[in-house]
Amino acid sequence: MKKNVLAVVMSTAMAAALLAGCGGSASSSSASSSSAAGSETAAVSEAASAGSGSGSVYMLNFKPETDGQWQDLAAAYTKKTGVPVTVVTAASGTYDTTLTSEMSKSEAPTIFNIGNSAAAQTWDDYTMDLKDSALYKHLTDKSLVVDYNGKTAAVANCYECYGIIYNKTILQAYCDKYKDAVIKSPEDIKDLDTLEKVAADINSHVDAINKACGTELTEAFASAGLDDGSSWRFSGHLANLPLYYEFKDDGCDLLAGEATIKGKYLDNYKKVWDMYVKDSAADPGTLDSGSYNAESELGMGEAVFYQNGDWEFSGLTDSANGYTVKAADLDMMPIYFGVDDANEGLCIGTENYWAVNSKASKENIDASLAFLEWVITSDEGRDSITNKMGLSAPFDTFTDKYASANPFKQTAAKMMNEGKTSIAWSFNATPNVDDWRKGVVSALTDYTKGTGKWDAVKTAFVTGWSDQWKLAHEK
Amino acid sequence: MSKNYRKYWPIFVLPTMAAFALGFVIPFLYGIFLSFCKFTTVTDWKWIGFQNYSRILFVNGKLDTTFLHSIWYTCIFTIITVIIINVVSFAIALALTKGIKGTNLFRTSFFLPNLIGGIVLSYVWLMIFNSVLSRYSMTIVSSEWSAFIGLVIVVSWQQIGYMMIIYIAGLQNIPGDLLEAARIDGANSRQLLRSIIIPMLRPTITVCTFLTLTNGFKLFDQNLALTGGKPGGMSELLALNIYNTMYGKTGWQGVGQAKAVIFFIMVAIIALIQNKLTTRKEVER
Repeated sequence: MKKNVLAVVMSTAMAAALLAGCGGSASSSSASSSSAAGSETAAVSEAASAGSGSGSVYMLNFKPETDGQWQDLAAAYTKKTGVPVTVVTAASGTYDTTLTSEMSKSEAPTIFNIGNSAAAQTWDDYTMDLKDSALYKHLTDKSLVVDYNGKTAAVANCYECYGIIYNKTILQAYCDKYKDAVIKSPEDIKDLDTLEKVAADINSHVDAINKACGTELTEAFASAGLDDGSSWRFSGHLANLPLYYEFKDDGCDLLAGEATIKGKYLDNYKKVWDMYVKDSAADPGTLDSGSYNAESELGMGEAVFYQNGDWEFSGLTDSANGYTVKAADLDMMPIYFGVDDANEGLCIGTENYWAVNSKASKENIDASLAFLEWVITSDEGRDSITNKMGLSAPFDTFTDKYASANPFKQTAAKMMNEGKTSIAWSFNATPNVDDWRKGVVSALTDYTKGTGKWDAVKTAFVTGWSDQWKLAHEK
Repeated sequence: MSKNYRKYWPIFVLPTMAAFALGFVIPFLYGIFLSFCKFTTVTDWKWIGFQNYSRILFVNGKLDTTFLHSIWYTCIFTIITVIIINVVSFAIALALTKGIKGTNLFRTSFFLPNLIGGIVLSYVWLMIFNSVLSRYSMTIVSSEWSAFIGLVIVVSWQQIGYMMIIYIAGLQNIPGDLLEAARIDGANSRQLLRSIIIPMLRPTITVCTFLTLTNGFKLFDQNLALTGGKPGGMSELLALNIYNTMYGKTGWQGVGQAKAVIFFIMVAIIALIQNKLTTRKEVER
């Protein structure tokens, strides 16, 4: 009898362990219970939608930070219209691999993210032309799309800007209280030469400045880390400037780029890079160690300048991070490049474009387009995007109380109003972006450590570009 | 009893066989098929014959040595780790079967590194290495050889405890009277080691060598987290190289798959040869 009971208990335990592995999708990264519930209902609603005739929506979200808000929006929409909406978020850095595996399933995503022209090329068979959609009609800046193969493959759903974040309070104190300041006010920094002078001056006189202004500076520029967590700022964001100006000179599409580049503006790139390394307290030999935290250097008032984007605002002002810097201290200036500084604005663009799966059924496509239109026109949708997710959406429906609250974005808008030219995100045209950046970062690291020459960086930049372009465009 | 086996063995074997087929055999065969195709998703393929295989070596009309570099870098890494791990864990196992005080405590603490997952382990070691090396203005990925030494240290540290346990089990299985008889005959400890212990341990040595060999070739987690293939892809072991080929370039999934097939053939041949060599010398009980 005891043996029988034992056998039954063991089999039940085994069955339970087996079945616990089933259910719920594997790719959601959010730890919140709402998303766990969301993926459970996803499995159920997917099964239900297979039979329904009114179409269903399956969105593969790109930004992990917004997963919770998207689950709420999906639930609200389903409650309102009865159309099942599933949102799954890929974990940070895994979007491509997740999309690849999800697309091969029978219930493939109907809405997914296209980051740049290369992604549009990879997924060319799956993107439908959005030229006639409500999304495109509502776009304020019609250039915020990804065109490929004669169609509008994807429409931007938010835009971001980056430049040199600086602590204007410290800079103001430097101008007012430090008697040997090289400028009279922060507004005097309008070009690369002046920025270089100011940075060199601040970095070499930190102690005197601290004494005069009561600050705790250790350097002018925050560390220019070459580890994986930070190198994209220089192999991507900073590299954007020589690419943009060369594309502009050559007259090609600023976001699609061209097959070969000459590296015309790499001397300017070298000037800016040397400034970042020289006018910082970080040891050039260990910039790739990953042990520097540039955000914290600006946040604790140890640095004045920090090249990054508007998404840094929430991190820098989050009280949980314990930084001493306040929202009123922060502002952003363009990455002056010595080419057209008088007209240069911030770098504005995005890697977040919505694409609709052309291989999905007609009902699902219609349902997906209707869902996206609802997101950008309804109160719940707009409130979620602007206030809860903190994004700036480039649609004409986002006015008044739904306009952006991020001060960096407000600076961007101010500059646009002053007639400054925003720098497009030309680096989105980078072919085989991971491999190209690997080569550039490796050469840059060697140059910075003193074990390599700048020519190697130029080769990695220019020859690497044409090599990768050829590889990426092979038939 | 054997009558029951003959009647009911399918019921017991079938679930495991099904799982094995679904999770291993089918993807494996499908992968071999896909290595001859150009594909983006696994259901959307186009047959292109041996083009993926030729692209492993010839890119844009030039010879590309990155895969070859990964192969010999991995081979050197495997040889060195096999030697270090087996020799050190054997030595520790010998020491810990002599019945000294605190043997259990030593065994536990030597085994503990194996319990830490590869990625977390590598990140902690990355911080340790970089802190120490920052005094010399270097980082662990300053060159492919500093990355190599870092990888050897991390993997050895992790695997020694595991192999030690296997060696201890093997050592404990040597009949005590054999050793006693040899000692009475006047054998000193070196002769004991060479003529009795090692021959009796051949099965264990087979197992440990096989495990360390395949672990060395398949290493991925520690490679990704400790070096990420830096500098410039020079410290990529085979698994990371294949992973980066698959996801790093547009349209190169087929080439990644082809590399994976070659990788399998290589490791299978080496493991089989190694197995044959060491099993032949095993002592029959």
